[in-house]
Amino acid sequence: MTGGLLFVGLTAALGVACSHPQYLGAEMPAPCRNRDLDGCLGWMVERDLVAAELGVYDQPNLRAYVQGIANRLATGSLLASPPRVLIGDRDGTYATVGERIVVARPTLERLATEAELAGVIAHEMAHLEGQHTVASLFGPAPDDEWHETRRDAEAIADERAIVLLERAGYAPVAMARALRSVLVVEDDEHPRRDERIARVEAMAVGRGGFEGRAELFAGLDGMIVGRDRRLGHRVGDAWVIAALGIALPLEPDDVVRADEDILIVRRDQATFTAYVIGAPWARELIAELDKRDVVTSVHGRVTAGTVARQASHDDTPLGKLQRAIRATLPQPVTGSHVAILERSHGALVLELGGHRVPELAVRAATPAEIAAALPARVVIEPAPRAGTLAAVGMCQGRLLDNPDRRVAIGDPVRCADRTLGTRGSVVR
Amino acid sequence: MRRLRYVLGLALGFRLLIGCNHRALPRAPIAKTCAANRVGEVIVVGAPRSSVAPLTVLEGTLDDRARTERIAQIALERLRALGYLNAEIAISREASCGTDLVAEIALGPKFRIARIDFETDDAFPPATRLALIEDALGTVNTIGGLYVEDRLRRALRELRKRYADAGWLDAKISAPIATYDDDGTVRVTVPIRSGPRFRIGNVRAVGGGRANRDVIAALGLTEGDYYDKTLVRAGIERARKQLDRWIQIRVEVAEDRTEIDVEAIVEAR
Repeated sequence: MTGGLLFVGLTAALGVACSHPQYLGAEMPAPCRNRDLDGCLGWMVERDLVAAELGVYDQPNLRAYVQGIANRLATGSLLASPPRVLIGDRDGTYATVGERIVVARPTLERLATEAELAGVIAHEMAHLEGQHTVASLFGPAPDDEWHETRRDAEAIADERAIVLLERAGYAPVAMARALRSVLVVEDDEHPRRDERIARVEAMAVGRGGFEGRAELFAGLDGMIVGRDRRLGHRVGDAWVIAALGIALPLEPDDVVRADEDILIVRRDQATFTAYVIGAPWARELIAELDKRDVVTSVHGRVTAGTVARQASHDDTPLGKLQRAIRATLPQPVTGSHVAILERSHGALVLELGGHRVPELAVRAATPAEIAAALPARVVIEPAPRAGTLAAVGMCQGRLLDNPDRRVAIGDPVRCADRTLGTRGSVVR
Repeated sequence: MRRLRYVLGLALGFRLLIGCNHRALPRAPIAKTCAANRVGEVIVVGAPRSSVAPLTVLEGTLDDRARTERIAQIALERLRALGYLNAEIAISREASCGTDLVAEIALGPKFRIARIDFETDDAFPPATRLALIEDALGTVNTIGGLYVEDRLRRALRELRKRYADAGWLDAKISAPIATYDDDGTVRVTVPIRSGPRFRIGNVRAVGGGRANRDVIAALGLTEGDYYDKTLVRAGIERARKQLDRWIQIRVEVAEDRTEIDVEAIVEAR
């Protein structure tokens, strides 16, 4: 009897000793427990992308390829070890604290050689070298001076990228092409596009190096093209979420607006907004719902309730940091009525509004609907003859390459595995 | 011989590791690029190179004097934010492979917080006050940590809210006062005028008919006790669970007393 009690006591003690704080369903790593703010924040940013925003594009061979380029650039950098690279599924390539670089899949689509991709990574790596991301954490609130500081940091990162490309053996002229392809809009935080391009062009003039078109194309083989429609896409009279294998039937009188993978519907006097989040984040949101009502359906567990105001007062440094980061995640506003359907790969959030609760139904998506919601992917095909791609006429309606580019027989050409719509995708 | 085999084994293992993870370079890397208009080396004297990363990253970039001055100022501000409040940076130039920048750094003592005093005699839990202002995973605004004033001011706004939640509705928290000593310590004083602490006044329930009395009992709020928003929230949760009814709370500050009246609005059945 005493032995049993001792055993229970020992197990409990060990449990307490070994229990580590959790964030979005995962045990927090050593940096979070050892006051390494940058390391902890970097991990949390990655966890947010993976477990809450579903913002990481998961294609292991592509990630390994891009990481390999970062590793090579890092050998000539001031960094002690290569940064960790993630492929982001939405637009926006950036460096974060904790030595992480998120390379957006849409950025990859716009590039034509490995050297251009190396230029993009080198630019972000320079921000890490210069600790530009760390400086902004403790820096003053944004003002004119702050914008000048940001512009300086961006110009330095462009110029430093040239150095990192040279040291790694890449052709530095690729940096100007990368900027031309990637820069779309002007803002106060960056120097003017033309100015940036002219500066790196002048620095790179007369310097050769490795370009690697075939290498980039091989790395991108199989990558999704355009928006990943699996998180939500209209197919006929249904909103199909192929990633979860479900569909939301739409009615003829519905007023429907789709903003990428967010669906907003007005039905009679009611409105609802539908979007997909990661399962760990869904579980945390559900735990905070007030007046909860749980129903188990064939499609999964549905929890309805009202979003309560955050009552947690965890005043530990880690608790405060978690609270601040959680506030930035996708979530319904306090006081709104929601229904959350949990599936194995994520959860569907339905935010309900208007004068009355709308009649909503979820059904399993049909195989045809799922097939229609699947995105196009990159396929690399050999050129059947020499000439410009336009003259060769290959990949009709599927070309993801510059039609004016001259190719020799057998040169790799980037195409889509199906005919592309009017979206135009990445033709350069 | 055994030692040599061990070293060879290590080298081979390393080579294999490299072979597994990296492709062979298509061209030999270029070791160094010299250009007259570029910064050559950034030589840092008096501090670790990593402490002035915004400057060291200028290696190989275009030599822009005005920009270098701005970056040196940023590097200096970072050093000061890291506790080197008396730090100074002097930049000079040397012609070399491009233009070398020599950054001479006088760090001075690293200031850390030795004491944090809240000038008040109220009953707000002292440990909570300290916990609320502690920042950046316990490295900032805590005993032994760095002093970052704008983050402390932000934390004090939250502390003011907590005072109100705990019944000190009129509490006023003034700007922190920092005193720096030559030995590298900072003493921080936060003046607080907490004012009267409000108590719970009338507690009543409406709308629930005969259940109103049970709601009041479940709330567990007693007239004359100090008002505490956390206890009120816990009371609502308890009452909702026990009575399985939707309950909302309305609180109103009494005009003529330092009391807060609590009214529970109970879902009718």
